[in-house]
Amino acid sequence: MYITDLKAISPQLTYDNELLEGKKTTHEDQVYNVIEPDYMEFIPKGLLRRMGRAIRMGVGAGLPLVKAHSDIDAVVIGTANGGLEDCIKFLNQIVEYDEGVLTPTNFVQSTPNAVAGQLALMGQNRGYNTTYTNGGLAFENAVLDAWLLFRENAVDKLLLGGIEEISDYNYNIDSLAGHYKNEIVNDEDLLSSTTKGTVCGEGASLFVLEKAPAEYYAKIEDVEQITYPTELEFDDCLELLLSRNNLQVDDIDTIMLGYNGDSRHTPWYTHLEEHLIPNANVLSFKNLSGDYRTCSAFATWLSAHLLNGEKAFLPHIELRKKHEKEISRILIYNHFDEVRHGFILLSK
Amino acid sequence: MSQTKEELKLELKKHIVEYLNLLDIKPEDIKDDEPLFGPDLGLDSIDSVEMIVLLDREYGIKINNPTEGRQILVDVNTIVDYIEANKK
Repeated sequence: MYITDLKAISPQLTYDNELLEGKKTTHEDQVYNVIEPDYMEFIPKGLLRRMGRAIRMGVGAGLPLVKAHSDIDAVVIGTANGGLEDCIKFLNQIVEYDEGVLTPTNFVQSTPNAVAGQLALMGQNRGYNTTYTNGGLAFENAVLDAWLLFRENAVDKLLLGGIEEISDYNYNIDSLAGHYKNEIVNDEDLLSSTTKGTVCGEGASLFVLEKAPAEYYAKIEDVEQITYPTELEFDDCLELLLSRNNLQVDDIDTIMLGYNGDSRHTPWYTHLEEHLIPNANVLSFKNLSGDYRTCSAFATWLSAHLLNGEKAFLPHIELRKKHEKEISRILIYNHFDEVRHGFILLSK
Repeated sequence: MSQTKEELKLELKKHIVEYLNLLDIKPEDIKDDEPLFGPDLGLDSIDSVEMIVLLDREYGIKINNPTEGRQILVDVNTIVDYIEANKK
């Protein structure tokens, strides 16, 4: 399946593609909030006023694609938490008002499938519509579903996305669980940090996928995932991914790794780049986006542009250069909290 | 000191803007006799449920009969009249 169009709202200037020209936005806090476009320009006010952050981002990035591609057969979204802020408001109201009269908007907007539903409604799309909420593998599962739909010839064109918002609630809970750094680390220093914890990000990255287009940004060749692996199981998982695509290790010229500055998470990435795919150039992405459960969607957005020959932003994510070959195949590897590990393989 | 009718109207308008998250609309922009569900404010059926929640939470008024609701939720004047007549 091929990426033929894409849009992202992220902590970088991605909506108008200024990042692609090399303009990086610096973040110096534990929270990397998205840079939102002026939604009023393209989302009706009557709808916008009811949208929480995740919905705004998802619809904001997805609506231009839905409008440009009226022949989309399906919408498949991955979001671990959906509109969590609205969900918590709703749950708090149940307690505060003793299960009395509750406001419907917070409930409607808090369901994880609200983005996919809203995009289908706005695009008059009556096709397959599914949302995956598998935590740190929500986007990988959405990719897998898309891959299966194409394989079964069930669709010719599909909208795929990964969306996550930062809510006060999940930030506080994840902070208490030790996910985030206690100290301020500039994004330039994040990946060399040796302390525990990372930085919190958010974003919406959406893609139009097609079966056999004449022109495209990149091909998504495969996706794989594994949870709670031992090192041996992890190695086998990667080997399986490569072998079923008839690839040798050195066929992967570039790896995009989810290094996030958390000293506990680094060994998995180091293991992959030093022992499993030692000759590939190494790229990062979380120094641009922060860490969140569906951030591999942002990595996919970056990779698609790189494979399309757009490289002005490459210096911001280049960690180790081991060869001078053109980028023709990228393996994205990311794990969330050492539990859920996902691979996405893309090529030119 | 009890609240005057004009103060109650302004308070209600502030609640409407807050509960319905009306963008680009200030409380003073809403006219007392402007139909709430007309083309200007652009409210819809979900907003009518939000309004019922608003009246319950802020004024202790419950509207259970849909027909009654249609007569009350016409404009700020009709709602304020109903609040004054029924506020607990």
